[in-house]
Amino acid sequence: MVLPRYAWRRLYEQRLVVLLTMAAFVWPLLCAGFVYLTNHGELLQGLDPEFRAFIQVNGRFFSIFMYVQAGFAVFLTALAGPGLVAPDLANNALPLYFSRPLTRWSYALARLIVIVGMLSVVTWIPGLLLFALQVGLAGGWWFLANWTLGAGVVAGFLLWLLVLGLVAMASSVYVKWRVVAGAVSLAVFFILTGVSEMIDNVFRVTWGHVLDPAWAVNRVWCTLLGVNPPDGPGAGASMLSLAGFVLLLVLVIERKLRPVEVVR
Amino acid sequence: MNTTPVVELENLKVTLGRREILHGISCRLGVSGTGKAVGLLGPNGAGKSTLILTLLGFLRASSGRARILGLDCRHNMGEARSRIGYMPENDSFVGEMTAVTFLRQMAELSGLPPGAALEKAHEVLFHVGLGEARYRELRTYSYGMKQMAKLAQAIVHGPELVVLDEPTNGLDPAARRRMLKLVADMKQEQGMNVLICSHLLLDIEQVCDEVVILKDGAIVHQCNLEEERRSNRSFVELEVTGNDRNLRMALPEIGAEGVSEGAGRWRIVLPAGVEVEAIWALAARQDLLVRKLTHRRDTLEEIFLKAMGHLSHTPGEGAALSVGRT
Repeated sequence: MVLPRYAWRRLYEQRLVVLLTMAAFVWPLLCAGFVYLTNHGELLQGLDPEFRAFIQVNGRFFSIFMYVQAGFAVFLTALAGPGLVAPDLANNALPLYFSRPLTRWSYALARLIVIVGMLSVVTWIPGLLLFALQVGLAGGWWFLANWTLGAGVVAGFLLWLLVLGLVAMASSVYVKWRVVAGAVSLAVFFILTGVSEMIDNVFRVTWGHVLDPAWAVNRVWCTLLGVNPPDGPGAGASMLSLAGFVLLLVLVIERKLRPVEVVR
Repeated sequence: MNTTPVVELENLKVTLGRREILHGISCRLGVSGTGKAVGLLGPNGAGKSTLILTLLGFLRASSGRARILGLDCRHNMGEARSRIGYMPENDSFVGEMTAVTFLRQMAELSGLPPGAALEKAHEVLFHVGLGEARYRELRTYSYGMKQMAKLAQAIVHGPELVVLDEPTNGLDPAARRRMLKLVADMKQEQGMNVLICSHLLLDIEQVCDEVVILKDGAIVHQCNLEEERRSNRSFVELEVTGNDRNLRMALPEIGAEGVSEGAGRWRIVLPAGVEVEAIWALAARQDLLVRKLTHRRDTLEEIFLKAMGHLSHTPGEGAALSVGRT
């Protein structure tokens, strides 16, 4: 844990990262207020009964919470993720690391731990706290009936964080320049969304969505949270496409994260 | 008594792409724990850096074996890396870190506990002359300071072997002297073995005890500089005008041997006990006008030039034999 410890310290020395992390807590706080309100019916007296029935803490509530936090996670990754790896490549620091008892994979894992750890603070940890708040306010019966929501929030976010972490690392090892790597991390999602939409519209199909990792993760979340899924391929196909995407990113990292570059 | 070689190569071949860089080299260099320095000499493209990168496990041998401190470079690299320090040739640092944090991190990665790592980081930074600048970020350092920081990170964990790749490259004379003194201190005072890769003969000669010369991916010469120094031969570079055709025949009269480089230029080896005045006297007897005479106790350049094929043989070879016989 030597590398993550030093990396976290460097990470939170960046003012923008701290600011964005703090901004990412606004939505969870609002959601906590919502959870509090839904569990205190007396505060909602006077509101339309249909509206009162509509506002509930359920799969839909957690999915909306996750969409917003996932967006913050993307921007936080683009801002901070490349700063963990790209400078090491740009400054040729890898030979110094790898001449010590540290393998390429342990280096990559250490960096991934830092990114996932940083994003956990604004994703599944507040999600789990919201879940715990709801359980605390609603009682044990609610937990027994909805424990899958808590597990879904954690599993769904971890899947997203894995994708984000690998995208940040792959773009960093590929372009080696922090700012560009950040832009590439963002662009990957926009471009793939555009490509998948284009395929769907040109060929009048829906399977093009599986090329969009954001859509695929969303599809998996819907299944985990028991929310009505969007039109398109199922959760299994989405998981398969995500596995392929992750494999591709791992291959890029494997090819590029080397102490010496052999020019052929 | 420990006789584990620092580096042991057995028919080592390294191929990059389709090109074979090291063509089956075999040798045993240094003895672990003796505090000696081994120099890796050779022109650019000889395969010096490739050999170092293979020893560090960065490149994989296509065949043969390489051992460092008795540990196989393919199978026991983790253990080997905790016992070695490496200073790469190119700029290598983590720009956003202060020198002391950088060194502390590197020491911890090599297995030192955090407290000891911090203590060693301060100590080593003072030792290499960066004590006053240790809280500055590395990206603000001058080139010479970065070289020193690179050396510091290589020795911060007290390794048994330090691998230095062109340590004096780009340094001004004062910084170069300081770097070489630090390397000499490392082996003499701290008992570290040092493997230096360089194309600068003077650097190697100043700090190394053993030399390996590489050319086109093969070892063309290996010698013990200590023994060469002990033989106490001295070398003369002579430039004369006049008919010097008889000089080669006359040199053995004083026990010397030499080779002509043409245009009146000679390289002469004097055996122990023969002073340079004998050359003056010999030149006078041959009616030669001495235009230049440089006297030095230096062998490496001749050895290197012969290994590179620029000299037909090392002038000292015959002299050493004759000295040995008498």
